[in-house]
Amino acid sequence: MTRVKMISAWFGGVLFLAGVVNILESGAADVFLEVTRPDFQKISLGIAGIQNKGGPDWLGGRIEEVLKKDVKRSLVFDLVDLPSLGITPTDIGNGTGTGSKAVFKQVAEKGVSVLVWGKAVMKEAQKDADVNMEGFVYDSGSDEVVGGKRYAGSPSVVRLMAHRFVDELVFRYTGEPGIARTKIAYVAQQGTARELFVMDYDGYDARQLTADGFLNLMPQWSPDRRFLVFTAYRDRNTQSIDMIELATGKRWTLISLGGLNITPSLSPDGNFLAFASSHEGNSELYRLDTRTKAIQRLTINPSGDLSPSWSPNGRELVFVSDPGGGPQLFLMGSDGTNVRRLTFDGDYNAAPAWSPRGNWIAYVCRTQKEYKLCVISPDGQKRVQLTTGSGVDDSPSWSPDGRHLVFSSMVDGKSHIYMIGADGKDLERLTFQGTHNSAPAWSPAS
Amino acid sequence: MNKTLCTFGVALVASVALIGMPGCGKKSVQSGGDSQSSQGPAKGGSVGGYPDTGVQSGGGGLRGLDKNPSEERVGSGTMLAKVDPSGAAGQQTDEIRAEQAASAAAGLRDVFFAYDSWIITEEGRQALSRDAEWIKSNQNALLKIEGHCDERGTSAYNLVLGEKRAKAARNYLVELGVGANRLSVVSYGKERPVCIEHAESCYQQNRRGHLVVKTRK
Repeated sequence: MTRVKMISAWFGGVLFLAGVVNILESGAADVFLEVTRPDFQKISLGIAGIQNKGGPDWLGGRIEEVLKKDVKRSLVFDLVDLPSLGITPTDIGNGTGTGSKAVFKQVAEKGVSVLVWGKAVMKEAQKDADVNMEGFVYDSGSDEVVGGKRYAGSPSVVRLMAHRFVDELVFRYTGEPGIARTKIAYVAQQGTARELFVMDYDGYDARQLTADGFLNLMPQWSPDRRFLVFTAYRDRNTQSIDMIELATGKRWTLISLGGLNITPSLSPDGNFLAFASSHEGNSELYRLDTRTKAIQRLTINPSGDLSPSWSPNGRELVFVSDPGGGPQLFLMGSDGTNVRRLTFDGDYNAAPAWSPRGNWIAYVCRTQKEYKLCVISPDGQKRVQLTTGSGVDDSPSWSPDGRHLVFSSMVDGKSHIYMIGADGKDLERLTFQGTHNSAPAWSPAS
Repeated sequence: MNKTLCTFGVALVASVALIGMPGCGKKSVQSGGDSQSSQGPAKGGSVGGYPDTGVQSGGGGLRGLDKNPSEERVGSGTMLAKVDPSGAAGQQTDEIRAEQAASAAAGLRDVFFAYDSWIITEEGRQALSRDAEWIKSNQNALLKIEGHCDERGTSAYNLVLGEKRAKAARNYLVELGVGANRLSVVSYGKERPVCIEHAESCYQQNRRGHLVVKTRK
């Protein structure tokens, strides 16, 4: 099979997905993460510039910068530097001119699979300025301009245009929607209070959601991305699990049972809310049927149980329990049956998050007195420590494509939010403002 | 009971976001009625309204690449409401100040704990004994015991630890003859530290049970 044909086969996305299934069923003894599989080949992609066709100087450059970062973060594409391959980005127009043919030939000869370029213009509209962006995609496998996109909007959505375009690229080549338009909910210190915020997945455009002046903790998304569930305090005295609608700011109490009401987590279908409460003594796990409002107790034991996280098929939960002292991860059916211990390394394992692909559970592991990120396979056979160094890491949350984690770390003294690849590479800091940012939760894909 | 809770909730929430609580006015706790399982309503609790959060459609609004693309209008992407930081936050701040003043006037002492521990030390017993005397001689006072932790460990597990500390302090006060109905407990985990240096001298100040005179119910 020639290289070009092999790449073409990837384009359908079918083979890619089949590869993922193989990983899930693989009995390989080697410890590997899917993005570092020896046979995982990223699709090489070059960006030949976004031409500025009128408007402020920054316009084309900014779009190009966002495109490049999104392409890199996708972990689907390998962003190639065209000039270093001897390819000088020129104005390719709409890709039909003779000049563009010469560029395409070069691109194909250098083994670059995908070439992206575009143009942008900003005009003064009647009320507000208006931005138009066009992006084009050449595919060297099929040797044609496979298509493009035309976007229009206000200058405030320039970044969103680029995010949208990259999600289209990821969708085209993998059949998955991409993560460039996802968001991250988190907690930020405001004075002595901790309030909920939501930002874009790349750390831009942070918006405050709550402003009650006290503690709002550990948000989790609803599957449809319209709501967050989180822990709050009524009059500072009584803990509750609240829900807030992002679009309206409407907020209400879902659960207030007395004692602890913490670590809410919605099932992938939205039909159950698992949470921990101590209203019957010590902290136990419960699940609320969101349709009937019936509450079912899931754990009955003298240990503290908390932090449930759902398997992607909704049939199982991973959670924290501390029989014998230190917290450890346990698995059980989502009805509370078949409880078994998952972690045996170390005396502190907590804050689990089940990968949306199902094959890994990320959590906080204590090694040499430091709280770091680890991942373990649900069968307990494979375990990898992802982060090292000093400072408490906490609250890992998966990207919907299962290729990244977001988490909080005090590695720089203050708690800030970071993104890291599921293979422990590509660490990127996302928050820089404020004194404390924590408890990140990655939204589902739209 | 439900009505009271809902009315209370609306009063509180309205000050935050001027909204009602979905589910209020409706029966908000379903009776389980299944005696052999643990399914059923929680004692003394409430369950608020719940919207449909199922995923409506896939595709994420992506329309695919097109050889003759039509123009797509990109919205502001703001599915986010604007918050009004006035009001609720200021009220909380005022109330916290009033609580702090009342607690300082009473001369209440904190009880401190060892790392990862909720055992009341000898020093802690002495502090709580003095607290108990004040509480017994101020029969109208209602107290809240806050459980706090240092920054090490996860936020979630520290909420559990904080509650154990608060309950340990409460139990000792009850042993000393303080009426349990005058004491409430709440855990703040590691979310409200009094000291933010990354050193043991600071950590030990944060591992505490903090007694507060409630200025409202």
